[in-house]
Amino acid sequence: MKVFRHLTTTLVAYGAIVAACVFLAVLAATFTLSLFADIVFSGWMMVSVQIARWFVLWVGVYVIHNVLPIAIAHGRTRREFLAAATGFSAVFAVAMSVLAWLGFLVEDSVYDVMGWRNHPHGSLLAYTLMFAVWCGVGMFVTAAFDRWGYGGALTLPVGLALVAVPGITMPGTDDLPVFRDAPELLGEGWHVVSVFAWMITMALTWAVARAMPVRTRT
Amino acid sequence: MRVDVQGLTVRYGSVTAVDDMSFSLSGNKIYGLLGRNGSGKTSLMSALAGYRKPAGSVLLDGEPVFENAAAMRQVCLVRHMSDAAGKGDKVSHVLEYGAAWRDTWDNAYALELTDLLGISLKTKVGALSLGQGSALGVVVGLASRSPLTMLDESHVGMDTPTRYAFYDALLNDFMAHPRTIIISTHLIEELASLLEEVVIIDSGRLVLQEEADVLRSRGTEVTGNASDVDEFTLGLTVLGEKSLGRTKAAMVYGTLDDSQLIRARQLGLELGPIALQDLFVHLTEPVGGKR
Amino acid sequence: MFDDRSPIYRQIADRIKADVLSGALKADEQVMSTNQYAAYYRINPATAAKAFQQLVDEQVLYKKRGIGMFVSTQARDMLRAQGRETFFGEVVDPMVAEARAIGIPLAEVVRRIEQHEKGEV
Repeated sequence: MKVFRHLTTTLVAYGAIVAACVFLAVLAATFTLSLFADIVFSGWMMVSVQIARWFVLWVGVYVIHNVLPIAIAHGRTRREFLAAATGFSAVFAVAMSVLAWLGFLVEDSVYDVMGWRNHPHGSLLAYTLMFAVWCGVGMFVTAAFDRWGYGGALTLPVGLALVAVPGITMPGTDDLPVFRDAPELLGEGWHVVSVFAWMITMALTWAVARAMPVRTRT
Repeated sequence: MRVDVQGLTVRYGSVTAVDDMSFSLSGNKIYGLLGRNGSGKTSLMSALAGYRKPAGSVLLDGEPVFENAAAMRQVCLVRHMSDAAGKGDKVSHVLEYGAAWRDTWDNAYALELTDLLGISLKTKVGALSLGQGSALGVVVGLASRSPLTMLDESHVGMDTPTRYAFYDALLNDFMAHPRTIIISTHLIEELASLLEEVVIIDSGRLVLQEEADVLRSRGTEVTGNASDVDEFTLGLTVLGEKSLGRTKAAMVYGTLDDSQLIRARQLGLELGPIALQDLFVHLTEPVGGKR
Repeated sequence: MFDDRSPIYRQIADRIKADVLSGALKADEQVMSTNQYAAYYRINPATAAKAFQQLVDEQVLYKKRGIGMFVSTQARDMLRAQGRETFFGEVVDPMVAEARAIGIPLAEVVRRIEQHEKGEV
């Protein structure tokens, strides 16, 4: 519980600060752009989908690469840490998608006032699942690299396949040619597939990190 | 805290760092873990701290340590580049980790030690000098108050006054809160008087485990006429020899009995003690000379 | 501080004995605790305890439970008697050998000792 509380409080607060700064920067950029051209898309959607998920993935990397060894050095087991990290990835994904949603709330009203055109954006659930999977993939791939060195690269295709799953139904991402029709066939049911994808990332992270040695850092 | 190691082996690919090692520490003493570079000290301690899964068994008070939450709570290992912090963390964050995650952590003592060892709380771990990094490791190790505390090369980069401050803090805190402390060091001469028991390892194997004072009394330097020294040392364990003209000095390992002492007097041989550090050097020197 | 050669506890025991002999430590006076000793000399407390135990065994010190270690009443006389037994063998004989080796006639050594007796030195 101590580990979970630490991860959640520090990293959610950090994520919120980063999101707030980025949001203001995007808004400023949009206004600047509006001086020269018509605004026909949501800047926040670009950022919250294309960039935010990389940030969330990086947080997953940080949690496994930096915080896990520290937790072990302070007398915590990998099992305790991974349980906390699993809960954290879910809470962090929810927190980040709420932040994204708050951003759209503000952005929508600004666009209304300015008479700019906007695009539909993903639901809270869609965002949450996307962030959860990206965070989980960050953890899994990092665990593999930390455990096996460059051999961890072998897990990259698996990671890529997993992050593709929740992105398929998300406005603002490109469709995957192979799976183009699948989400439409499944409709909202596709979210269930995304939940499975997240569960797979966590299961893989546990499997890899469960007996991982703590290396001497240089 | 009692430590039992049975058949412990640590391998990195084709390199065997710890090779089928077995020993027990009865606990609540300051132990010196002595070995040359690459002898397996850090690997051994990493296995004791649950940093890696052991081949063989590592028991702390009879409980396996690896992934055992109850046992892990009792252990603290500080390796020279502190594991207990990220480079981007401030020193104050490192203490916060300790306070948040360790039930036994004494934060007032941690603050007192950082002050004593001259570490600024605002500095980032990555910006600390080598000696300050080591000192921060000492803070984490001692303030954790863990029943098994291991300090690996904690003196590295410290200047002499800081080292002595460290030795004093270690000793005083050990007396106030007796626990099992294992220290590895190359500065044997400096630390020798603090140690109660010594464990010497070489090439991943246990060379000896002995009370420091007993070990000190076990080595004898025999000096005299070369042929007399040769006669006297015949059949004894000779760790090393050196000659100057007709005079020869031999380092003998093992307690001498009364008849041997009388014989030495008859031959006019001078018997002197050997420093722990010299004993160590000779006990870990492979047959056939230096590496 | 310690030569790291002969066992430290023996060096400490010898030092306390020397203090008793010189009168720095008097009969029934409390000696420092093992922990104070350990901190002062920067040695392991078990080593200090071992020295104290040796002195208790030799009846130089006695233990008051829960209070500490004290110099026994007979300690000084006992150590003096022991010292007298070994004095000629350990101090005078080597001195004579040294005097011979460097060529000082024994008569001169005796004269010097007589000067000490008369308080001239």
